[in-house]
Parts: sequence; C-alpha cells; structure tokens
Amino acid sequence: MKKISGFFKAIGRYFKNFGVAFAKGDIWVKLSAVIMGAGYFARKQIINGIIMLLVEAAFIVMCIGYAAPNLAKFGTLGTVKFEQVFDPLTMQTTTNNYDNSFQILLNSVVALFIMLVFVLFYIHNIKTVYKLQQMKENGEHINTFKEDMKALFNEKFHITLLTLPTIGVVIMNILPILILIAVAFTNYDQQHLPPNSLFTWVGFKNFASLFSNSMTVTFGYSFRKVLGWTLVWAVMATVTTFIGGILLAKAINSKTTKMPKMWRTLFIISIAVPQFVTLLLVRNFFADSGIVNTICSNIGITDMLKHAGLVGEHLTYIPFLTDPHWAKVMIILINIWVGVPYQMLIATGVLMNIPTDQIESAKIDGATNFQVFWKITMPYILFIQGPALITDFVKNINNFNVIYLLTQDVFVTQNQALANSHAKEVDLLVTWLFRLTNEYYDYKMASVIGIIVFIICAAFTLISFSRMISGDKEEEYQ
Amino acid sequence: MKKTIGSIFKHIVLLVLAVIWLVPIIWLVVTSFSGYKGINTAHFFPTSWSMDNFVQLLTRPDSVVQYVSWFKNTLIIAIFTCLISTVFVVMVSYAMSCMRFNGRKQIMSASLILNMFPGPLLMIAIYFILKMLGLTNSHFGMIIVYSAGSGLGFLIMKGFMDTIPMSLKEAARLEGASEAKIFLKVILPLCKPIVVYQVISSFLIPWGDFVFAKLMLNSGVSKDWTVAIGLYNMLEKSLVNKYFSVFCAGGIVVAIPISILFVIMQKYYVEGVTGGSVKG
Repeated sequence: MKKISGFFKAIGRYFKNFGVAFAKGDIWVKLSAVIMGAGYFARKQIINGIIMLLVEAAFIVMCIGYAAPNLAKFGTLGTVKFEQVFDPLTMQTTTNNYDNSFQILLNSVVALFIMLVFVLFYIHNIKTVYKLQQMKENGEHINTFKEDMKALFNEKFHITLLTLPTIGVVIMNILPILILIAVAFTNYDQQHLPPNSLFTWVGFKNFASLFSNSMTVTFGYSFRKVLGWTLVWAVMATVTTFIGGILLAKAINSKTTKMPKMWRTLFIISIAVPQFVTLLLVRNFFADSGIVNTICSNIGITDMLKHAGLVGEHLTYIPFLTDPHWAKVMIILINIWVGVPYQMLIATGVLMNIPTDQIESAKIDGATNFQVFWKITMPYILFIQGPALITDFVKNINNFNVIYLLTQDVFVTQNQALANSHAKEVDLLVTWLFRLTNEYYDYKMASVIGIIVFIICAAFTLISFSRMISGDKEEEYQ
Repeated sequence: MKKTIGSIFKHIVLLVLAVIWLVPIIWLVVTSFSGYKGINTAHFFPTSWSMDNFVQLLTRPDSVVQYVSWFKNTLIIAIFTCLISTVFVVMVSYAMSCMRFNGRKQIMSASLILNMFPGPLLMIAIYFILKMLGLTNSHFGMIIVYSAGSGLGFLIMKGFMDTIPMSLKEAARLEGASEAKIFLKVILPLCKPIVVYQVISSFLIPWGDFVFAKLMLNSGVSKDWTVAIGLYNMLEKSLVNKYFSVFCAGGIVVAIPISILFVIMQKYYVEGVTGGSVKG
C-alpha cells in the first residue's frame, strides 16, 4: 500500500515541479514552452539549444505527416473496404484507396508512443531550463557543452550505457506489447484479415470467451487444461534441470573424481549440437515406428509394459510422443537431457567462486560435508542463481522450442473439446497461441492468451523479486 | 575402504549418465555416415556406410540443400548478434549493479516485467514492425531481431557483478578514475567468465532459433535461409525420406564451429575469478 501511495506521490511531485518551474521561470523559461532551446540560448548553451530546436522541428513534422492521418482513423480502425475493379476495356485491375486496419493500428500505437516520449522530454526540458536560470541567479558555474559530454562518462555514465539498449527494447519489446494489447480488444481473426477486410474494436468480448464454455466454443475448458500443464511443466523443468545441474557439477568437480575435464567434456558434447537438431533427432528416435520402439519390441519391453497396463492393448509400439501421458513424461525427461549440461556449466562457474575461507573455517569448527553443502554452498548458489532460477521458470512457461519441436506434426489430440479450440494436451500456452496465429490466424484470442501468460509471469516474478530487489541483499556479498 | 567404494560407485553413475547423454549424439554421427538417405528404423548402426551425405551437403547444392550459403548467412548474423548483445548486456549490468542513480530499481522491475511477455506472440508484432521498416528478408533485420532487445537479459551478469567487492570500485574512485575507466579497466576484466558465458549464449541464438528466422526470412529463396530453417525444412514429410541422413550430416557440420568455440570458452568459464584482486 505504502509503495502505491508513494508511487502516486512521486507522480504528483513530478507535475508540481513542472508547474513551479514554469510559473517561477523568467521570460526565457516561458519562451522555452513554445520554442524549445530558448532557455539554453539565454544561458549560452548554444549547442544544447540547437539540438532542442531540431528535436522540436522533427516532432512537428512527425505529427503532421505521420501521426495525424493515422490517429484520425484510430477510433474506427478504418472504414473503406478493400475493393478491386476490373476494367474489361483497358484489361487492368484498379484497387481503391482502402484502409488497412492493422497498419492504422500499428502506426497509431507508434505515433502515440512517440508523443508520450515527447511530452516527458518536453517537461524535462522546462525543468532543466528553470534549473539553469536558478544556477545563473546564484552565480553557479554552468557547464559548457564539453563538460556536459564529459559528465556522460562520469557521474552520468549510466545514461551513456543505457541509451542504446533502451532504444532496442522499445522497438523489440515495448511497441510489440502495446500493439498486441490493442489487438486483444479487436476482432482481428481469420474472418477479418487485412488487407481484404477490416477489423474493429470489440471491447472485452475476447476475454469473456476465454472464460466461457459452450458446445462449439471450448476456450474456457482448453484454457484450464493448458494452463494446468504449463504450470506443472514449468515447475518440473526448472527444478529437475537446476538440481540435476548442481549435483552433476558437484560430482564432477569433487576432489575424488578422476579426470573431471573428461567427464565435463562428455556432457558438454550434447550442447555442441544445436538444440533444434537434437530435439528433431530425438523426436525421430522415439517415433512410433522409430529405432527405440524397434529395440524395445525386440527385447520384449513393449510386451512387458503392455502387461503392466502402461501401453494400450491394441498398440504394437510404445506411444512415447503420441499418447498424452507418455508424451508429458517424455517431454520432461528429454528436457532434463537438454538442460542439465547447461545448468552443470553454470553451477560449475558458481561453485568455483564460493568464498573458500567460510568453508574452511566451518570445517575447522567440525562441520560435515553435508552441513557445509546445505549451510554455505546452497545459500550462496541460491543467492547467485536466484534471479536465474526465476528467469528459468518464466522461460520454461514460455519454452516454445522443446514442446513445439517434439510434438508438432507428431502429436494429434483425441480430445474433441480441445481440438475445437485448436489446443492439444501437451500444449503450453505459448505453443497454443502460436498455433492460433500461425495456422488459424486467430490473432485476437492469441493476444488474449498472451496477456494472461504475461500477467501470470509478471505476478510471479514481482512477488519473488520484490524481496530480492528491495531487500539489502544486493550488497551482502559485495 | 568405504571411500573407495563410494568413489567407484560415483564413477559408475557418471559413466551411465554419460552414455545416456551420448547415445543420441552417437546416433546422429553414425546416421550421417549412412549410405541410406531415409530414416533407418530397424538398426541403430547403418547397414551401409558412405561419405556421400557430407559431399552432397557441401558441394552439390540443389533446390532443398543450400548448406554453404546457409552457413555463411548464419555465421554473419551470429557474429553481429554476439557482439551487439554482449556489449548491451555488459553495459546494462554495469549500470544496474555498480552505479546508483534515480529510478534504478524502477527500471529493473520494469525490465523484469517486460521480459515476461511471451516471445512467440511478440514475434508477429515484431514482424509487422520490421516489415514497416523494410527489414524482413534481410540479414540486418535478423541481427536486430536477435540483439536489439538483449539488454533485458542482464540479470545473470548483474548477479555476478554484485559479488565483486565494492572496495575495488571505491579504491579506483579515490585515485580519480572516471566511471567509464572503472567500468573498462576494473570491473570488466573481473567479469571475464560471465562475459564469456554471455558470448557463448548469444552466439548460439541464431544457430538454434528457427521460429523467428522462419517468420522473417519467408521469401522462399532457400539461399537466404539460416542453417536452422534449412535443416528444419529437410524434415518436411515429403522430404524426410530423401534427406534424413543429409540432415544429420548438416547437424554435425553446424556443431563443429560451436564445439571449437566451446573448447576455447570453457577454459575461461571454469577458470573463474578466484585469483587476483581482493576477492572473498
């Protein structure tokens, strides 16, 4: 609660400072509200002033040429339908000047984002100019352009460091997220595909259909099923590879192990082959008529499993990747195979860095190996690896490759209710939404599912991270 | 006595595990030398041996196999991706771990949240954005796709930098070193192992990713593809019986540069930062 009110107070302060700056500023500060950079010229910061002027000019050009025409249609997402007229006399097809709903949506989001950034920039500009005025009144030293540049490599070095990565993140993450959030509130699907037809806003209808069930629309049922498996999978995949990696690293690095380098290399060989190759290979390895099934039936394992009731009576093979239960177990096992060498490598690096003096003093005090492992090694690993564990968990919720490559074109669901909403038992939320977009062009439902996945992951991360970030643990080992 | 039995037992377990981890790889290797092009489902080892899969892969490009071009494309994309994303991650990690500025914690929380959004969904929007910029079907576009958002993946490296003693930075500051100098001369050398980890993992992205590549390089001109799409394409139902061993050969050839890199990198990786400075 405190945090939230603090957040709003900070926002309030932000705008109050802006008001104060504008009200108390001299003529140059007020002029800066119209002509950005005026305040800089007055304080002899010519280059800063010119930069501000250029930014303002660019923004105005953007508004007129790009933002205005798109935002005008943002409310309806376009009204002119795509039409083609074939003229038999000239033998030419003419296309009308149609509206492309998606283009309008995309351009509008981009334009709105640029505007928001500009507003923040504008406020910042007024504040800076006011600060310059105060500095001048107090007779303080005002930085020259050269000194400003120098500060970017000293106390303002973080700005230098963060600028480029931030631009990248805006293009690759923020804009796409905004666009998809917008799509979730439209009826963008196979019946409304631009450029041939228009789509428009529908409000919360898509969210309602994700939680409802009827004979034909089974999204509610599928969603519960897929969500359940996604969570089971993410927990299993993270925990098994993490523990497996630490145990393997401990075993290989222990003093009594002969030739640790050789062992490490043997396990690393499997990383050398790209994941998609091994996954596609393993999928053929365990295919219904694949090599493992041939061997199993030759040495009688298939019959044994049949007697145990683990394989259906009518089958002559083990349905490793074609039966829902078998497939789920196999996917987790194959994921251990894929993930443990990576975790082993990371754990090795972490284990090497454990402060040895703590362990030594513990041993002198008579601690057993077991105690050292649980009281010193594990807390240290968890401190270092904690953030990585959570990212791993979230990555596994979104682990597209393993599920897609192992089951695409192989696993066919028998469950009619799932099939109606294009889901499968082994689907994660992400593979489901990928199929919805890639094969069925159901962008609206995919966006809704994407938002739900996002909320789940974000909630989980925030809960676990608020402790790590807000706590003072950051400096504990520094 | 008890110790030796335990040690032998441990080695046996390791051996069994190593065999499990190697069987699919061995299958990959032997199948790539198979004289039969399809999937051999009856025997683990091929019935006839031949080098022809490799020869076909490297010297006889056809409408399906353009391996040399794919390899070149992927290598170029991987090198640039690796450079850009390593630089991005190092920069962001240093700012987050070693500097204290207003809004630092908020930025960290925000980037955590941003990282939560499922990639496969974002892909579609990214595709449209790149199309607007005219960057689909270009390798430059692929480099942007793989590296632009990489700054968000700073958590692991930040965690590592957090373990570097503050006293080092303070000592450098007292001697009048600028922040940029501390970053380049003091902190970065200490981060060698984790930087190497970052280099490996970002270099591997273009070799392993096929969904993004498939979406972005969709012109159908197989010469422009990356190794991943090319190899994936060989396993299409209509092609798999003619190209499965070629696929295996391709998988092995692609593994070679990655393994060489790994051997070099591994040295750095396990060395750790135990020596030098005022660690611990």
